[in-house]
Amino acid sequence: MMNDLSFALYAIKKNIQASAELRTSFLTIVIGMMINNVAFILLWIFFIKAVGEIGGWTPADIVGLNGFAALTYGLAFSTFYGIRKMPDYAATGAFDRFMLSPKNLLVRVSTSAFSTSAVGDVLFGALCLTIFSFLIHANAIQLAILLVLAFAACLVFISTIIIIYSIGFLFTDGNNVSEGIFQLFFTPAMFDGGAYQGGMRLIFTFIIPSLVIGTLPVEAIKDTSFAKAALVVALSIIWFLLSVLIFNRSVKKYESSNFMTFGN
Amino acid sequence: MPKSIEISHLTKKFTFPVKNEQVGWVKNLFAPEKREVVAVSDISFSVAAGERVAFIGPNGAGKSTTIKMLTGILFPTSGTMNVLGFDPTKDRKKLAYQIGTVFGQRSQLLPNLPLTDSLEFFGVMYDLTNAQIKKRVAELTKLFSLGEFIDQPVRKLSLGQRMRAEVAASLIHKPKLILLDEPTIGLDVVAKKALRDLLLTINKEEKTTIFLTSHDVGDIESLCERTIIINRGTVIKDLPTADLAKSFAFEKYIDLIPTDKFASFVELPAGLRYLSKEPNKLTIAVDVNKLSTKEAIKTMLDLYDIEDIDVYNADMETVIRYIYERTAARPDNN
Repeated sequence: MMNDLSFALYAIKKNIQASAELRTSFLTIVIGMMINNVAFILLWIFFIKAVGEIGGWTPADIVGLNGFAALTYGLAFSTFYGIRKMPDYAATGAFDRFMLSPKNLLVRVSTSAFSTSAVGDVLFGALCLTIFSFLIHANAIQLAILLVLAFAACLVFISTIIIIYSIGFLFTDGNNVSEGIFQLFFTPAMFDGGAYQGGMRLIFTFIIPSLVIGTLPVEAIKDTSFAKAALVVALSIIWFLLSVLIFNRSVKKYESSNFMTFGN
Repeated sequence: MPKSIEISHLTKKFTFPVKNEQVGWVKNLFAPEKREVVAVSDISFSVAAGERVAFIGPNGAGKSTTIKMLTGILFPTSGTMNVLGFDPTKDRKKLAYQIGTVFGQRSQLLPNLPLTDSLEFFGVMYDLTNAQIKKRVAELTKLFSLGEFIDQPVRKLSLGQRMRAEVAASLIHKPKLILLDEPTIGLDVVAKKALRDLLLTINKEEKTTIFLTSHDVGDIESLCERTIIINRGTVIKDLPTADLAKSFAFEKYIDLIPTDKFASFVELPAGLRYLSKEPNKLTIAVDVNKLSTKEAIKTMLDLYDIEDIDVYNADMETVIRYIYERTAARPDNN
C-alpha cells in the first residue's frame, strides 16, 4: 500500500517534470485557465447581484463553491488525468502497459497522465477558497472543516470519475459515454447550491454526488455544521470503496487491441 | 531443465456484436447478435529456461493474443498457464517483477523526458534502490550503446534508437523472461542486426529466456534456436529453427546462366517449372518428389546451352510462406 502510494507520488513528479519540459505551453495554459475561471465566477456574482440571493446563497458562497469545484477538478485532472484517459487506453489497447506493471493497477493508470490546464484550476481553486475564508471571516474551526472537506471533496471527485471512466472498459465508444455522464455529474456541481431543495437535493447528493464536492462543504463551513461535514466525509469513503470495486470489475472486461500507440 | 513457460490446452475466444440486416435497428441496438471468434484454440507447449523461441504466424494467427495471456493482460477462456512458476491470471503483479515485455508497435517510454528518466522510472516501478538503478543503467548504457542519446527526449530518438531503449528499459529489473512482440518492426537492416545481437548477448550473459513474435525471417534465423508456428489459433509446427528449412525441402532451385542468351523458352517436363525467364538468366524450381536434382540438371543441360549453374534450397521466407499458405488453404487445421 505505502509502496504503491510512494510510486504514485514519484509518477506524479515525473508527469509534472514532463509537462514543465514544454515550459511555454505549460505557463500559457495555466494562466489561460485561471483567466477563464475568473470570468466564470464574475458572471455568477453579477447574476446573484442582479436577481438577489437564491436559497440563502451569497456571492461569497459562490466564490467558495467555485473554489471547491475548481480545486477538486484541478487536483483530480492534473495529478490523476490518467483516469480520464481510461476509455482511450481501453479502446486502443494502450491499457496493456499498465497491466504489465507490478504496481497497483488503479494507481498506475491514474498517475499515467497529467493535464497542464488543470494546474490553473488548482491554483484558482485555492485562491477562491482563501478569498471565501476571508469573506465569511472564517474562524479556526471553520478553517479546519474547510481543510478536511477539501480533502474529502477531492476524494469524492476522484472516486466518481473512476466510476464514470471505467465505463470505457464496457463499451466500444466508452469515451463519449463517459464524457456525457461526467457532464451530468459536474455541471450541477457548479450551480448555486440554494437552487437544490427537496428531492433534487437528495438525488444530487446520494445518487449523483454533484453537491458533495462543493455545495455541502460550503454549507458545512459557513454554518459550522459538523453533521454536514460528517456526511461529506462518510460519502467520500463510501464512494471511494465503490469506485475501487467498480474499477476492478470493469478491468476484467478489458480485451486489449492492437492500435499503434506512443505511451507515457 | 526448468521451464520458463508451460501452457496446456489454452483457448481464447472473443465475442462481439454483429449487425443483422434481417432485423430492425432497435433490435440491433439493444439486443445485437453476438459472434464468437476463436483467437487461440487449444494450444500446448513449453519453453525451457534460457531458450530462445520464435513464435511466428501470419497476421491474426493468435501470436499477440497468446503473449497477452502469458503476461496476464488477457484472461484465457480455458486452459492453464505457468510462467516462471506463476499463474498469470492470478499472480499478474508478482509475475510482472520477473518478466520484461517489448511491443514493437507500442512504446512504454516517457516521450517528453530524456531516456534516463524513463530508465529511472522503470527502476522505481520495479522497486530498485537508487544505487541499483544507477548501476543497472550504467550496465545497460554500455551494453546497448545508449550513451550518445541517453540525455535526449525519447520523442526525438530515431526508431532504431527507441527500440534499443525500449529493450533496455524492459531489462532494467533483470527479468528471467523477455517477451517481444515484433521488436524489429520498421527498423533498417543495421538497426535490426544490432538489436538481434543485443538480444543474443543478454540471453548468453544473463541467461534470459527469449520468446518473440516476428514477421522478419532474419529475427527467426539469427536469433531463435526453436520455432513454434501458429496459424488460425493452432500450433502447426514446433521444431528447431535449423530443421525448419530441411523439413520443407520439397523444392530445389536452379539458376542457369546461358553461354550466349536464352532466345526461347521450351515447355518443361513434369517436376520442373520456370520461376523467372530472362534472356540472361533462368530460375527453375524442381519438385524433388518427382525429379532428382541430378535429373533436373541433366534435363536443363539437354534443353539449353548453359555456361553456369547454381543449385540452392528454398530460403526460410519461402518455407514459412509455404507453411502459412498451406494451413490457410485448409478448411480446418485442427
